[in-house]
Amino acid sequence: MAIITISRGSYSKGKEVAEKVAAQLGYGCLSREVILDASDHYHIPEIKMIKAIHDAPSILERFGRGKLPFIAYYQSTLTRWVQKDNVVYHGLAGHIFLKGLPHVLKVRVIADLADRVASEMKREGVSEQEARTLILRDDQERRKWTQSLYGVDPWDSSLYDLVIHIHKFTVANAVDFICHAANLEQFRTTRESQQKMDDLALASQVKAALIVDHHLNVAVTSEYGNVLVYARADDRATHKLKEKAKTLSREIKGINNIEVHAGVSMPPDAL
Amino acid sequence: MQPLTTEMILVMLMIGVAVFLFVVEWVRVDVVAIIMMVTLPLLHLVTPKEAFIGLSSNAVVSIIAVIIIGAGLDKTGLINNLVAPILKIAGRSPSRIVIAISLAIAIISSFMQNIGAAALFLPAVQRISKTLKIPISKLLMPIGFSAILGGTITLVGSSPLILLNDLLSPFNLKPFDLFDVTPIGLALVGSGILCFIVFGRIILPQGTKDVAEEPSNPPGTDSLQEFGEIYELQTPENFTHYRDPVRVEDLKRRYLVNVVAITEPPDFKIISPSGEMVVRSGVDLVVHGQERDVTRMAQSEDMLLKSNLEVFKEDVAAHASGIVEAVVAPRSPMDGRTLDQINLQGRYQVTPLAIYRRGETYRVHIGDLLLRVGDAILIHGTWTRLQLLQSEGSLLFTTPVDVELMRPEKAAFAGLWLAVALIMILVFKIQLSVCLMTGALGMILTAVLSIDEAYRSVDWRTIFLLAGLIPLGIATEKTGTAAWIAQSVLEATGTVKPIVLLTIIGLLSTAFTLVISNVGATVLLVPLVVNMAVAAHTDPRMAALVVGLATSNSFTLPTHQVNALYMGPGRYRSTDFMKAGSLISVVFIVVMIGAIYLIYGV
Repeated sequence: MAIITISRGSYSKGKEVAEKVAAQLGYGCLSREVILDASDHYHIPEIKMIKAIHDAPSILERFGRGKLPFIAYYQSTLTRWVQKDNVVYHGLAGHIFLKGLPHVLKVRVIADLADRVASEMKREGVSEQEARTLILRDDQERRKWTQSLYGVDPWDSSLYDLVIHIHKFTVANAVDFICHAANLEQFRTTRESQQKMDDLALASQVKAALIVDHHLNVAVTSEYGNVLVYARADDRATHKLKEKAKTLSREIKGINNIEVHAGVSMPPDAL
Repeated sequence: MQPLTTEMILVMLMIGVAVFLFVVEWVRVDVVAIIMMVTLPLLHLVTPKEAFIGLSSNAVVSIIAVIIIGAGLDKTGLINNLVAPILKIAGRSPSRIVIAISLAIAIISSFMQNIGAAALFLPAVQRISKTLKIPISKLLMPIGFSAILGGTITLVGSSPLILLNDLLSPFNLKPFDLFDVTPIGLALVGSGILCFIVFGRIILPQGTKDVAEEPSNPPGTDSLQEFGEIYELQTPENFTHYRDPVRVEDLKRRYLVNVVAITEPPDFKIISPSGEMVVRSGVDLVVHGQERDVTRMAQSEDMLLKSNLEVFKEDVAAHASGIVEAVVAPRSPMDGRTLDQINLQGRYQVTPLAIYRRGETYRVHIGDLLLRVGDAILIHGTWTRLQLLQSEGSLLFTTPVDVELMRPEKAAFAGLWLAVALIMILVFKIQLSVCLMTGALGMILTAVLSIDEAYRSVDWRTIFLLAGLIPLGIATEKTGTAAWIAQSVLEATGTVKPIVLLTIIGLLSTAFTLVISNVGATVLLVPLVVNMAVAAHTDPRMAALVVGLATSNSFTLPTHQVNALYMGPGRYRSTDFMKAGSLISVVFIVVMIGAIYLIYGV
C-alpha cells in the first residue's frame, strides 16, 4: 500500500525493474501515460510536452515563461494518477514531484556505464564511442534539467530511500529489495499520508489552473483542503487572481476554503 | 353621603390630569408622578411631608432592595445557571420551550421585578428563536405575559402586591403573608400558559422564518456570527497515539477552527492558548468556528462534540468572553506589522480569528499578513483581556466591550443573602423592606456588587413613579374623595353579591391599570375598594387583594413595562396585544375570582 517512484537513467534497466515490481505487488505501473494524459488534458502537443519536461531549459527559456507551465501541468496530472495509491511510477522526477509524502518509496536504479554503452550499441547500431557520447549527453541533460528547475542534483543519493546499482545485483535482486521495502511499515499509506497526497494533488491542480489563466508568479499550498495562493504583490493582477480563486473553489472538487495572500513570503514547500 | 367639596374636585381633577398624561404621554410616566408629588402640596391637598413620604415607604425601599438583589443574582450568573438546564429539558419543540421558559420566568419574577426577569430572558429567547428557527413573535408574548403573571405568585412578585400591606395598614386590616397569594398566582400562570398552548395559533402572530432570521441583535454583532460560534469538544483517549503531535495551530490550518480555550492535565484551564500548544488526549477544548468546519474536525479527529459548554461553561460563556471586531486605526503602531510580530496572542491572551480586508476574509496563516490601516480583525477573548487591548488604543473597537464583568465566584454569597432575606421574611416576620435591604446590603458587603453597581442597578423611573403616586393616594384618602367615589360607584352598582362586587372591582382595576401604572392604580383603588367593600359587607382584604392582583392584568395594551420591553424585539403591533391580551385578561378575571371564591370562600 504505497507509491513507488523509480528514478532511472537510460539503459539502467529501471523500466524493467519497475514493471516487475508492479507485477509482483499487483500495483499499477506508470510512465508515459502521464505525459499523454497531461498533453490531452491541457491541449498541448505530446512532442512539445515531452521536449518541455525532458530537455533542460535554454538560456532564453530561463527568462520567459519557460517550462514552468508544462511542469505544473505535468505535476497536476501525475499527482492525480498516483493519488489512487498502489502505483509504481518510473517517469521523470517522481522523487521531486512527490516530495514530502511519507508513503512514497523513492528508488534510484543505476547501471554500470559499460553495460549501458553495450546496450546502446546493440539497440542503435552505433560505435562504442558514439554510444558513450549519447548516453553521457542524455545523463547530462537530465541532470541539468533537475538542477535548473529544482536546484537539486539527481545523482545525490540522499534524495532517495534506496539506490540500487544493477551490476553485481541482478534485476530480480532489485525487484526483491524494492518489494520488501515497499511492504515495510513506514511506507504504508496512512490516513494522514493519504491526506498529504490529496492536498498535494489539490494544490497541483489549483496551480495548473491558475497558470492556464496566466497567473504565473504564484505559489500554492493546501492543507486538509484549505488552499492558500501566495501572490508576490497586492496589485491589479492580484484582484483578478482572487476572482479566479473564487471560481476555482466551485470548479475543483475538494477545496474547502481558498484564500489569496499577497505580499507575504512564500513558504519553501509551496508549489 | 358627604357632599362634594372643592378639595375632592381638585383631587379628582388631579387624577384626571394624571390619567390624561399617562394616556397622551406628553411627558414620561415618572415625570407625571413627580408633577403630582409637587403639585399636591402646592394645592394644599397633602402636607409637604406627605408629598415625599413615598420615598421612604416600605414599598419603595423594598423595590430598591429587590432590584439590587436581582442585580446581584444576575451578576454572579445564578440566573444563567437557571436558564441552561431549562433549555436542556425543553428541547426543540416551540410549545415545550414556551412552557419551560414561561414557568421559569414566572418563578423568577415571583421573587424579583417582572421587568428584570423579562430583561434577563430576552437575549436567551432571541437566541433560541434564531437557533431553532422559531419566529420570535411566537415565543416572546407568552413569556412576557408569564413574567407579569408570575408577579402574582408571591407578595414580593410585583409592585402592587409589595404595596398592598402598606395600603391596608391605615384601615387596620390584617396584612397578607408572603405566600398567601401563591395558589391564586399559580392558577393564573397555569391558565395563561394553557391559553397560549391551546389557542396560540389563533391569538399569536405566526411570523415567518424570515422574521426569525432577521437580525435582532445590536448592529455589528450579527455579522460576527457568520464567522462561527463557540463549541466545546473533547479529544479521545487515543488522540496522540501513533501520530505526529497535533498543535493548536494545526487545527486552525486544517479545519479553520480556532481553539480559544483548552484544558491541560491535571486540571488547568488555558484561555487563548498559543498556536504551539500541543493538543493532548482526553482534554476538553473550546473552539470558535463554523458548524460545518467544527463537525468536520470532530469527525476526522474522533473528537466528542458536546451539545453545550460544560467544562468552560463559566470561563467562555457569553458573559465572560466574546468576539469583537477591531479596526487598525490610522497612525496605529500595528500598521505595516504582522500579528505575529505584534505578538497579539502572547501579549494580550486573546485569539485573533480572522482578518477582513476590502471584502476579503482571511482565516488561514493570518499571523503572517501585513496589517494595514482599515483592516478589521476579529478577536476572541475574555472581556477583561479585550478591555485591556482596547485601552491600549492601537485598535478601534467597532463592537462594544463594555459588557458587565460577571462574578461567578460570588454565586454562593448571592444565593446565601437571598436565602437570608427570605428566611427573615418567612421565619422572623420582620418588615419586608428591612429583610430585603439586609439581603442587598449583604451582597454589597460580600462584594457580590459594589455599592456603585448597586446604585446603578436601581431604576429611578420606577422609584419616582411609585413614590410620586403615593401622595395622590394619600390625597384621595385624606380629602374623602376615595370614600365619595366608593359610595357613588356603590350606589350606582346597587346591592350585589360579594362575588359580583369583586368582579366589578377586578374589571375596574384592569381598566385602571391599562391607562395608568399598576402602582398608580393600586394606590388609587385600594382605599376606594376597601371603603366600597366595608359598605357592601364584603371582606375588604379580599377587595384589596383583587386590586393587587388585577392591577397585574395588563395585557390588552403594551403599556405594562414588560409588554413595552418585548414589543420591539417581538415585532408586535398594538393589535397583537389586543387580540391575545383580551383573551388572557378575561381568563385572568375568571380564574382570579374563581380562585378567591374557592380558597377564601367569599
